[in-house]
Amino acid sequence: MATLSSQTRRAPWLFLLPFLAVFATFTLYPLIRAMMLAGQQTFGPGYTKWVGGSNFAALMNDALFWTALKNTVVFTLGSVFVQLPVSLAMAMMLEAKGLRGKGVYRAILFAPSLVGVSFAAVLFALMFEKRTGLVNQGLHGATAWLSLLSGKDLAWSLDFGWLEQHVMAALIVAALWMYAGFNMLFFSAALQNIRQDIKEAATVDGAGPVARFFHVTVPAIRPVAAFVVLLSIIGSFQLFELPYLMLNGGAGPNNRGLTVVMYLYQVGFETGDLGYASAIGWTLTLILLGFTIAQRMTARGEEVAR
Amino acid sequence: MRRSQSTADHEHGREGLPVLSFGGWLIVAIALVSTVLFAASPVPKQEGRSMWTFARMHWLMYQPMVEKWNAEQTTRVNMNLLSLPALERRMLGAFLSETPSADVIEVERKVASRAFTGPLDAVGFVDLTDRLTSEGLLDGINAPSFSPWTSRGRVFGVPHDVHPVMLSYRADLVEAAGIDVSQIKTWDDFARVMKPLMADNDGDGKPDRYLLNMWDTHDEHLEVLLYQAGGGFFDESGHMVIDSPTNAHVLATVVSWCVGKDRIAADAPDFSASGNKLKADGYVVCTLMPDWMGDIWKHEIPQLTGKVKLMPLPAWGAGVAAPERRTSVWGGTMIGIPRTAVKSPQDFEDLWKFVKHLYLNDELARDLYRVGGIVTPVKAHWKDPIFDEPSAYFAGQAPGRMYINLAPQVPMRSSSPYNNFARYRVQDALVKITEEAREQERAKPGSLNFDALLKRASEELRLAAKKVQVQIDRNVFLKEESR
Repeated sequence: MATLSSQTRRAPWLFLLPFLAVFATFTLYPLIRAMMLAGQQTFGPGYTKWVGGSNFAALMNDALFWTALKNTVVFTLGSVFVQLPVSLAMAMMLEAKGLRGKGVYRAILFAPSLVGVSFAAVLFALMFEKRTGLVNQGLHGATAWLSLLSGKDLAWSLDFGWLEQHVMAALIVAALWMYAGFNMLFFSAALQNIRQDIKEAATVDGAGPVARFFHVTVPAIRPVAAFVVLLSIIGSFQLFELPYLMLNGGAGPNNRGLTVVMYLYQVGFETGDLGYASAIGWTLTLILLGFTIAQRMTARGEEVAR
Repeated sequence: MRRSQSTADHEHGREGLPVLSFGGWLIVAIALVSTVLFAASPVPKQEGRSMWTFARMHWLMYQPMVEKWNAEQTTRVNMNLLSLPALERRMLGAFLSETPSADVIEVERKVASRAFTGPLDAVGFVDLTDRLTSEGLLDGINAPSFSPWTSRGRVFGVPHDVHPVMLSYRADLVEAAGIDVSQIKTWDDFARVMKPLMADNDGDGKPDRYLLNMWDTHDEHLEVLLYQAGGGFFDESGHMVIDSPTNAHVLATVVSWCVGKDRIAADAPDFSASGNKLKADGYVVCTLMPDWMGDIWKHEIPQLTGKVKLMPLPAWGAGVAAPERRTSVWGGTMIGIPRTAVKSPQDFEDLWKFVKHLYLNDELARDLYRVGGIVTPVKAHWKDPIFDEPSAYFAGQAPGRMYINLAPQVPMRSSSPYNNFARYRVQDALVKITEEAREQERAKPGSLNFDALLKRASEELRLAAKKVQVQIDRNVFLKEESR
């Protein structure tokens, strides 16, 4: 029996071994190596200098890092406060009673998230071009009548610099198009799980649509919403491809499109300072860890309250 | 008890094998066999030497020359075309880890400078200085073309090109307006003489076209103008010159071109469909044009055939370090031999012979110009009559001869690995001053003042210089070497 028991204990580890080997080689080792690298300056393995915490100290005084962090936070706020409400609104419309062809609408709204980021970035970069872009041309055409009526030049300027002065707005719009449909699915699933009898009871008690939304729908979808918010925050903090491609490999005028991961890329792979790039990477990890712990604690608090 | 026995049987295996079922053992066996087969399968061995290049045009052009080499020589060369980012990753990865890459690498300026970040003896390319000197190539090739591949006085590559810059203009529009471009000697002349072209024909209160394709966001255009004026980011000895009076003068002038009552510039981005449309529509009259750009225009804006002409860049005049210079430089490529490819003196001799066969070849010089409009840096080939042939695209002008005449004036550049970082910071300064100027013009039209712009440019450039210096000071390897 004892032999059997030890074999039983070993079996899961045997099954886990391939994963653990891959995890240790491609995740754990690079993580430890990156932690060591954050305290070094290197030019290949042959030229390494231990610089202690000076990479982190330099980061705290690096104006570009703070610009990148500020931009990333702005994008994250855009994702959370613009994208998620839009996703929820779309989900609520889809879950409305009596709507026919829900599957078709769901497919249409979800479709943009199936498109590659590169494609979306190129598409939006063209749309946001100054004089020839669809957005400025459309807005100019739509507002031209204002000029005719007022006799003043009130038409939208064709020279409006979406990718110059308003980079973050352009990125938030592009991300909204790409990811709103994806997040909608989470909210749809959560809305479908709300018990019909609770909604009916609230209606019988005289609750209107607004009261039902805040007192029935919101509490019911809160765990899913918290999860979607956390995913959104983590995804937003990892923003790279969209601005990199929309801004043609740069960070836009005055670094308005510079994000933390873009800065990490610039420092690590354009300037070649891998130690400093690792310090940026670890700082980003700590920020995201903070958000995750906060989310877990909030979720646990709610569970206890229930 | 029965259930427990059954589980034990299952775990022990009916065939007496412990823990795994037959299926489990089958998976393990397949994994082991495939691993052994994979590990034992022979790696295809490449015969001969390998060369990497990043430009399809170069790859096509080199084919006959490489075939000729392979037919005549015992050591074959296999040429591989890689995208520039792929080449950059592989080359730097190999250099940093001191593992083999290709035997010969052709690489663009911004990527090559990345190899110069560490100590001199860690540069991944073979130092060619002594060989270039002993064979007289340092004198035989246009001197400024070596500067992007020279680090701390040592040369690590043979230049592929010169890339002088001229100003292209819409000859159809300029000549229809009766403007004589020979009157234009300086940028001030340019604004004055060309001004009639900025008419408002549709009556919307705005000019229908602008004189120059230049904008505060065009970092490469700014770099071209800085070099022309004798400014830039680092001098030939590697000292930072970001906050020089010349740079401040150029920045202030560019702002005055983009904003205010004297605005002459507009944004028609290069390498984009929208920019090409604006150029074809005549929204901008003139564009900075290095020799390689002509070929791109021929393919992307063919409707301008016979409507475009070239002239030397207008000089900056007083206020800058190079007041008379009528050209600049944009881009550049070199060929180098990675150190890991040289295991014996004979290896170097073979590869050096191939490099010379390719880059000093008179046939290549002709092809380079015929196919890409690019002027060779090898001075002996400049006499070739191909450079005097008129171009239909440039309304019968001979661009080759015009570019060659300017080649000796091409400014020197630095190979600093901090060039890109410095360029971004100088552009940040330009964008900031331009936006302040726009605000000022909105609040008080016509109030822009050149002296005030110059003062702001100096202040912002000092801040930019500080940011770059912080980055450089963090490089312990360069610091140790300078001690």
